[in-house]
Amino acid sequence: MPGQEDQAPLAGIRIVAIAQGVASAYAARLLATMGARVLLVEPAGGSPLRREPPFLPGPSGEETEVSALFAYLAAGVDSAVIDLASSSGREALDQHLAEADIFFDDTPPGERAAVALDEAGIAARFPRLLHVSVLPFGAQGDKAGWKGADLIVQHAGGEGNLLPNGLAVEMFPGRAPLKIGGHFGEMQGGIAAALGALSALWARPEAGGQAVDISSQDAMLAVGAFAIQRLGDGSVEHRVERSFRYGGVIPCADGHLELLTLEQRQWDGLVRLLGSPDWATDPALASSIERGRRGPEINRHIREWASVRRVDDIVAEGQKLGVPLARYKSPAEILSGEQEAHRGLFQSIDMGGAGLLDVLVSPFHFGGAALSLRSGPPALAGMLEVTP
Amino acid sequence: MRPLQGIRIADFTVHNAGPFCTHLLSQLGAEVIKIESAMRLDAFRKPHPVYGREGPATFDQVASNKLSVRINLKKAEGVALAKRIVAASDVAAESFRPGVMDRLGLGYADLCAVREDIVMLSVSSSGQSGPDSHFAGYAPLFGAWGGLGELTGYADGPPVEIRHVMDHTVGMNAAVALMAALHRRRASGQGVHVDVAAREVAASLVGDLLLLAAAGGATARIGNAHPRMAPHGVYPAAGEDRWLALAVEDDAAWTALCGVMKRPDLASDPRFADGASRIRHRETLDSMVSHWSAGVEANAAAEQLQHAGVAAHASWTTPEIAADAHLRQRGAIVSVAEPDGTLRAAVGVPLRLSKGEDIGILRGTPRLGEHEDYVYGEILGMGRAERLALEAAEVIH
Repeated sequence: MPGQEDQAPLAGIRIVAIAQGVASAYAARLLATMGARVLLVEPAGGSPLRREPPFLPGPSGEETEVSALFAYLAAGVDSAVIDLASSSGREALDQHLAEADIFFDDTPPGERAAVALDEAGIAARFPRLLHVSVLPFGAQGDKAGWKGADLIVQHAGGEGNLLPNGLAVEMFPGRAPLKIGGHFGEMQGGIAAALGALSALWARPEAGGQAVDISSQDAMLAVGAFAIQRLGDGSVEHRVERSFRYGGVIPCADGHLELLTLEQRQWDGLVRLLGSPDWATDPALASSIERGRRGPEINRHIREWASVRRVDDIVAEGQKLGVPLARYKSPAEILSGEQEAHRGLFQSIDMGGAGLLDVLVSPFHFGGAALSLRSGPPALAGMLEVTP
Repeated sequence: MRPLQGIRIADFTVHNAGPFCTHLLSQLGAEVIKIESAMRLDAFRKPHPVYGREGPATFDQVASNKLSVRINLKKAEGVALAKRIVAASDVAAESFRPGVMDRLGLGYADLCAVREDIVMLSVSSSGQSGPDSHFAGYAPLFGAWGGLGELTGYADGPPVEIRHVMDHTVGMNAAVALMAALHRRRASGQGVHVDVAAREVAASLVGDLLLLAAAGGATARIGNAHPRMAPHGVYPAAGEDRWLALAVEDDAAWTALCGVMKRPDLASDPRFADGASRIRHRETLDSMVSHWSAGVEANAAAEQLQHAGVAAHASWTTPEIAADAHLRQRGAIVSVAEPDGTLRAAVGVPLRLSKGEDIGILRGTPRLGEHEDYVYGEILGMGRAERLALEAAEVIH
């Protein structure tokens, strides 16, 4: 909603965030994109996220000091440098918190009391504030003080042990299990924190402020819930057995595609896409249970067929026949994608020393329109001076 | 208190992504009315051989907590009945392919006509607009379209399909967007149509790497490695298929790891003196850590490492998670009762509220049409004769 910030869904909501890690920063970013004003409180020298590689190449290809991760997470937020070790710094933070609706904080639990960020103290000073703690293992429980990183929470949350599936595990069956790329696990913590904040804010007229305790492990587990469901059904999932019986990642002449047929009509479409060869029209394969049993054989045929064809040709033809197929797209293909351009997924914005770049805004549209970022990442200011 | 108490959702969603959204909101107190029909059962009431499952699940995580009513949307009277539920709701949620709700006569404009300030949520693979909006898709396809699949995998291997976690993160994102829309309605009195595109959610989870590519930087699959930390990976532990994940954040963590490995000599080895040196010697380090880790029990080693200040955890299997005391203390894992009274583990809502101790799963999967007395009788005020007539006409069916 360019130029219509006051109509953005969260216009008028004020947020303060302390974010040493991805989860807290992502929670704030999600809400900032929907119109909340976010103040990122950074220590002298800046948030550690500013120092996280890889760094963006500048307009002439030279490496800049702009972290891709920080630039993405902090686009659209304001920043203040505040030294919480000093009483004037703590007073400055309190002034911001007094005007805020939501406070995201990932300060390690053991360090909170020393900087007056403990739950009881915050609740006493700011009774209407939603105080959202965002930690790898949460603020309560036996592991509350445990350290985490994306890799750690993905493996503590279960999905790490269950990947890879399909082609990758077929090719490398003995290798270590694999995390999802990027910062998937930490971001789940951020998304859960955003949900917790908005839910608690909804209840504020009746309940007043409250503390929200987010654990990225819990969030990772929540999105992996089906493994727990299957356990209750009597089946322990394993990355090898969990692979789809047929379909999955299919190597083609110029890349990979994903194929998944769950419904009978989709299988019928696939048979037509393959040119109705004898093996596929075997009457026994009309039964989905038999197809499941003969999955490896089916995949051998599909892979042989696909190996000499181009991904886009297969996908275009298959989607017409109602077969769920997708190209494994590279970042460059996504950046130049027609669908993404039509949807306004990216916004060209000044990324500090890295110049004007396309940055992903949001996967949400409201009222048929894309959202917009109000700015790139904030520059690192000097120490905030507060007169006692 | 349950924070979303008082919000009612007419839930037309199917499969995983949309249902997980409304499932989360139901655990936070929203009243979710799942609209289904014997004519078109939700996927999780049906067998699914492609997953190797030949019978339906007895307990379905994403349907739990919801109320169930039957409506045959193929009949005009069914559509009219659905609109009566929408008129009594704050939110209508759906996850059909774009255009289906319009064709049914349940598009946003139709719903606004019966409830002016309705918030409508549409979850789809590629969004409600654009040249690919008609594409059919499931979780692994969202990951493929959005770049998450391409950026996941061993450095020398193929891309990896992202499974149910993809659907469920779409659902959790949708819950955030829906709550934002409800806040907007509270402030402005106006409803809105919220459009969540699953492939864009996948892309949003690698937004930093897309930005790197936009600047001309190179992206690649890097397995379990990290651009700044080494050692950083999943290492073999004692026992069959046992693994230990650890991440050395800084020099202090490196020194601590050397201590736990009983290799103080490595802490002063100039090859590993700082982060940049350790990245340069990543393969040597991985081999040293693997040599040590292969002889230790994963959970005991993780505890020892965490105590020493190193981020670490065993790569947990599902039974380990279901039995974990920490997750149980937090309500992240809860026990739910099957119809015959047996208890099973389920996943709770991933947040704790200081004033919301009663959030979470209250009921398991509803039977088809289980809550029609309440929904048709109490909410809509429908008499017995009208209900019987609608059943006879296969509208409530």
